[in-house]
Amino acid sequence: MSSQALEYLEQLPLQTHKKLYEQPSTVLAIFRCMLPHLAKSIVMAMLYMPMPLSSSDLDAWFRPSASKLQKDSLYILEKLHILELKQRDTSRQIEYSLAPGFSKSLRQALEGSGTHRSFGVPAPQTGERKVTIQELDDYAQGQWESLLFYMVGGTVGFQGSVGGDIGQGTKTLLEGGGFVAKNHGKIGITRTGFMFVLQDTNAQVWSLLIEYLKYVDNLGLGMSETDVLSFLFMLGSLELGQDYSTATLSPTQTIMLDDLTAFGIVYMSHKNAKTFYPTRLATTLTSDSGALSTTNSNDVAAPGTGATQKGFIIVETNYRLYAYTSSLLQIAVLSLFTKLTTRFPNLVSGKLTRASIARAVQTGISSSQIISYLDAHAHPQMQKSIPFIPPTVTDQIRLWELEGERVETTNGYMIKEFSSEKEYREIVKYADDLGVLVWKDDSEKKLFVDRIDQLQEVLKRQANKRR
Amino acid sequence: MNAIDGTDRHTKVDEGPPPSLLTIVLDTNPHAWAHLSSSLPLSTALANILVFVNAHLASGNANCVAVIAAHSHKACFLYPAPNPVSPQKDHGTANGDVEMGGTSGRPLHSIPDNPNKYRPFSTVETAIVNSFTKLMEETKQSHLASTPTTMIGGALSLALSFIAKTTLLHAPVTSRADDMMALADSETTKAQRVPLTSRILIVSVSGDLANQYIPVMNSIFAAQRKRIPIDILKLAGDTVLLQQASDATGGIYMKPEKPEGLLQYLMMAFLPDATARAHLVMPSAGGVDFRAACFCHRKVVDIGYVCSVCLSIFCTAQLPDNLCLTCNSYLSLRSAQMNPPALIPKKKKKKKRAGQGTDSATPGANTPVGSGTPMHT
Repeated sequence: MSSQALEYLEQLPLQTHKKLYEQPSTVLAIFRCMLPHLAKSIVMAMLYMPMPLSSSDLDAWFRPSASKLQKDSLYILEKLHILELKQRDTSRQIEYSLAPGFSKSLRQALEGSGTHRSFGVPAPQTGERKVTIQELDDYAQGQWESLLFYMVGGTVGFQGSVGGDIGQGTKTLLEGGGFVAKNHGKIGITRTGFMFVLQDTNAQVWSLLIEYLKYVDNLGLGMSETDVLSFLFMLGSLELGQDYSTATLSPTQTIMLDDLTAFGIVYMSHKNAKTFYPTRLATTLTSDSGALSTTNSNDVAAPGTGATQKGFIIVETNYRLYAYTSSLLQIAVLSLFTKLTTRFPNLVSGKLTRASIARAVQTGISSSQIISYLDAHAHPQMQKSIPFIPPTVTDQIRLWELEGERVETTNGYMIKEFSSEKEYREIVKYADDLGVLVWKDDSEKKLFVDRIDQLQEVLKRQANKRR
Repeated sequence: MNAIDGTDRHTKVDEGPPPSLLTIVLDTNPHAWAHLSSSLPLSTALANILVFVNAHLASGNANCVAVIAAHSHKACFLYPAPNPVSPQKDHGTANGDVEMGGTSGRPLHSIPDNPNKYRPFSTVETAIVNSFTKLMEETKQSHLASTPTTMIGGALSLALSFIAKTTLLHAPVTSRADDMMALADSETTKAQRVPLTSRILIVSVSGDLANQYIPVMNSIFAAQRKRIPIDILKLAGDTVLLQQASDATGGIYMKPEKPEGLLQYLMMAFLPDATARAHLVMPSAGGVDFRAACFCHRKVVDIGYVCSVCLSIFCTAQLPDNLCLTCNSYLSLRSAQMNPPALIPKKKKKKKRAGQGTDSATPGANTPVGSGTPMHT
């Protein structure tokens, strides 16, 4: 699933892991989404094992050809403090056992035992009208699109917005995460930001949430990391269309609800509501089945345009680009690197030009990002040929990017006006040996170095010698 | 400049293992479970299997499961329930749901709103337990008296047809495939086809299955063709047939010494799916008994009679009217009737060959050259 989430989890200390593993929902979510396939097999095999598993037994279980995969799995399990290593006293053999907290919680999750109530407490039935799944989807989509549009729209100078307000907190978060940067009071997308936009929705949600975790940590509001994380994992195991009670949430989690509402991850009918609904963004947090598609929002015939989710861009070998979309967000993304010329009700057309690519590269978007965006959204007709995007176009985009990199600047020092050829040779050789020589011109007796500290000594010695 | 020439222009990697479908055939024959009740009661076994099902569901996000009961008189689906029990009930319709499952006396399992349980798990569990209770309540004494065996053959056919159906439904990413996708030619749809790896697990307790030799064997061959491994967990009894099933389809055969440790056996040996099995050493049956059961009396035979037309096996030559029971061909077994089947002793050919050798042009060369081709014409 989301590798960023795994990376983030891996670097947490043992104590945090221990606290995290107290919640069965968290353990189950980590098991379901974070672990590689073989690691799952290892964990499950050891879950109900009464004795620790010796490393020789484990080796015997794996085929010799899979030893690399075995090592990878074990590495991740150890890193997440799921697997504990013990050395038996008598024979110096290593034994593996599951961390007690982890195995207890995973057993509880599988058996449905315990009274941890970590899978969400459904709200008691009230007379109020329940929110339908369609409404939840609309809300989540609206919020998420406006978040993306905030990032992209400002860069290309689009006015207006495509959804609701995303809140000042979200804007600060996006800026803090380096997704957008403020230049002269204008919001501009950064390289990280563009990478973010390119990801699929599920990965986007995770990257934003991880940014949120770091942000919360730095804020020092007394919000504990484990509380935040286990709440996120709990959200992932909730049922779409069901309202849950806020009564059992910790104070940290109650604060979080506000922020998550702004992202569109949960829905609350009003600010102090007693219940909350997870949206599709939340329930797909811990599964890789596609989160909502962010493409067909302000399409009038939204249901009919399912195909646009898959791909809508046609690129011809003459660099002309046609995109079957009417979504402002997508048009905004396209206009980051395309010179758009015409817009029709369901189609925009434009051209990839040297200038437009150069502009994108200047904002920090790399050519490979552009290509992978085009590739990911290639129209089904384009997908018939492999590669989807004409090779001439991909190569040209790369070339255009390289054009901008023709001049390379190096800060350093120019040394010239040597009194003799011999002195010049000495210095060049010395600089070359040090690895600081960047450029030299033998006829002019000039050289350029990027560091001079050690050369200065030699130069001084030469000067002394001359006297 | 080399950086431009993108040989890796197409960099789409299909990450993650394919979803896997686990079909469990649970032998629910009351006779056999009664024998086991001291060491492993059926209720405990079912609870263990439910945990195992949950573990399977947790192992992959798109994993799915089906449970089929092979009962004494019929085979039926436990999950997915044939007429949906609608486990995702709304609060208001709680009563109706309980009635449908006929489980008014079990409050613990019929509450899907359990905050201690992951929702998909409780959905599956409730459905299985409900339909299982229903099956047990429907079982009359007359059903038990009729036969001491279990309908493995029928259950296997159900499992295979369910797998076939699910694989078809699953075939492309159909959820998004609408008119525009249909325009794209078949090649692309094939490329997007996510394979579904399926397997069958038979938890068997009854012994003698020889009377179902033909249907089970047919299912085995169907499974073999479809590359569906059949895993066998044999808690009691012993059948040649199921051993052959796992051997022919590349499944796992296990006959634990102590049935009490059912869950550990399930978790260690049977949980890894086809993707994981490629990297693991899985237990195997060891020596497999390849004997067949005859078509006339369902007896396991070492040496028997085979119809020369349809290859049916008979333990006796006394067939009514000398007609094959399967294909009705006339079989003349007179010679066989007189001489019981026996190995014909090898003829001593040494002398004959020596005589031929004198004929050949080169007496020293005792090579097979001369055997077929005429040397002198």
